[in-house]
Amino acid sequence: MNSWWCGLVLAAMSLPGGVSAQTPSREPRFEVTGAAGLQAGADLAAQNGDLRANSTPPQPFTLFTTESRVAQSWLTEGRVGWRVTPRITVEGRLGYSRPTLEVSAGADTEGAPPITIVERIDQYVVDAGVVIRLDEVRIAGLMPYAAAGAGYLRQLHEGLTVIEQGHVYHVGGGVNRELWTPNGRLVRAAGLRVDARVYFLAGGVAPDVVTQGTVTAGIFVRF
Amino acid sequence: MKGQVLIAVVALLLASAAVPAAYLQFAVDVNGHTTPLRWKSPSVRWFATNSGVQNVSAGAMQGAVARAFDTWQNVPTAAISFSFAGFTGATPFDEDGISVIGFEDEPDLERVLGATSFVIDDVTGEIVEADIFFNAAFQWSTADAGQPGRFDLQSVATHEIGHLLGLAHSALGETELRPSGGRRVLASSAVMFPISFGAGNIADRILQPDDVAGVSDLYPDDDFARRTGSITGRVLLNGRPVLGAHVMAFHLESGEFVSGFTLNDAGEFQIAGLRPGAHIIRVEPLDDADVDSFFDLGSIEINFRPAFYSRVVAVPAGGSAPRVDVTVGPK
Repeated sequence: MNSWWCGLVLAAMSLPGGVSAQTPSREPRFEVTGAAGLQAGADLAAQNGDLRANSTPPQPFTLFTTESRVAQSWLTEGRVGWRVTPRITVEGRLGYSRPTLEVSAGADTEGAPPITIVERIDQYVVDAGVVIRLDEVRIAGLMPYAAAGAGYLRQLHEGLTVIEQGHVYHVGGGVNRELWTPNGRLVRAAGLRVDARVYFLAGGVAPDVVTQGTVTAGIFVRF
Repeated sequence: MKGQVLIAVVALLLASAAVPAAYLQFAVDVNGHTTPLRWKSPSVRWFATNSGVQNVSAGAMQGAVARAFDTWQNVPTAAISFSFAGFTGATPFDEDGISVIGFEDEPDLERVLGATSFVIDDVTGEIVEADIFFNAAFQWSTADAGQPGRFDLQSVATHEIGHLLGLAHSALGETELRPSGGRRVLASSAVMFPISFGAGNIADRILQPDDVAGVSDLYPDDDFARRTGSITGRVLLNGRPVLGAHVMAFHLESGEFVSGFTLNDAGEFQIAGLRPGAHIIRVEPLDDADVDSFFDLGSIEINFRPAFYSRVVAVPAGGSAPRVDVTVGPK
């Protein structure tokens, strides 16, 4: 995340809460969030081009090696939440990112020149989870929360060919800060939200489970 | 009455046309059309000869061959089955209307462990009869764990039954020349590789992804086409099409190999039966076995360096990846 943007978000969150100090007539239950941020890169497990060697017991014969990496990328996401109890919200999320997949192939036993291939992937994550408000550690107007959930992963190659589908699991948390609490009939509150999660991606282009961190900041509106 | 033609196919020597698909399929020219060799019936009956060899009785031979048939029959994406019809006094390679499998003493074929022959319907290209012989000039074993100095009958039977089904040889392997002549296999990833791992080795009892893709493409079950994808393209050297290049598709997630060849003057290839997902494409000259053990295409190009394709190829389920052109350089 660019430092100026991060600073802007933190500065906004340190403002005195509630531009409009009027208390809503009822607790808002429905929340919509739009956010953007960064998705960390991840090294994928190396996958060798192994043939069966002529040996007993069988051993691999490595014809060539490959290494793959999903690079860091921007991430945008939308969240829709429904407050079930004053502390617990059920939340759904659609996240979209366009990381590059970097694949290197080399160490070829027959001398094929090594190569590094860089390709774009469109990555969609649809997940659902539980957000628990941590009233006990509330600091000034900052309301921290913890979150966990699971969902569906879809990775499309350039040209929109589906490469892989899989599952995601996530844990994390964040803080939100109400900045505006109008006494309107529709919008009950609005503010800023900073969210950090660790995603475990299973069944994507990587042969193993990939761990990816995300940090996003955005605006929420409660109805 | 339909005409029938006997085609003798030796494990280490193949002379027929080939279908430009993944792996390699036998094909015949029927009324000017290249038609894959395949059984029309989804259930194939076979007989075993009633004579064994030293260390392997007729019953032990039949058991090893039955296990090899089971291996192919158990491919989940293929719809083909086999039934043992009994022992017979008939011999392999006779055109007698039944498919016979057994030993034959062929000391002159000093590098041939086994061979498969076909009788085909020359109007439809269907296989009417297929026989397999195992060369009794070699030492054989049916021991569970193999036996040093003896060739594993089940492994060789698995290879020959691949031929019986219509598969030709795969080039997924690496070899080195022996000082005494012939080649030694360093590694392979297909039961249908033309050269055996050697005496005592039982690795070829287990089908590899290339074999599974091949038999499934010939005898697909209802879901095979929907669950797998394909790659098509061509190979170019100095702007000219390359004939006879070996094209390998490597699935990045699973590490599986499935391969094919460029089999026409346009240098085109097709690799079908691929697991969906991201693949690396590697092209190499066909220099790890005698070219005529794969196909008879005339002058094929082997004077180029192996190369990787410059893109990751995403294979969709039930479809084909965008066409790829792979450029290779001279040696």
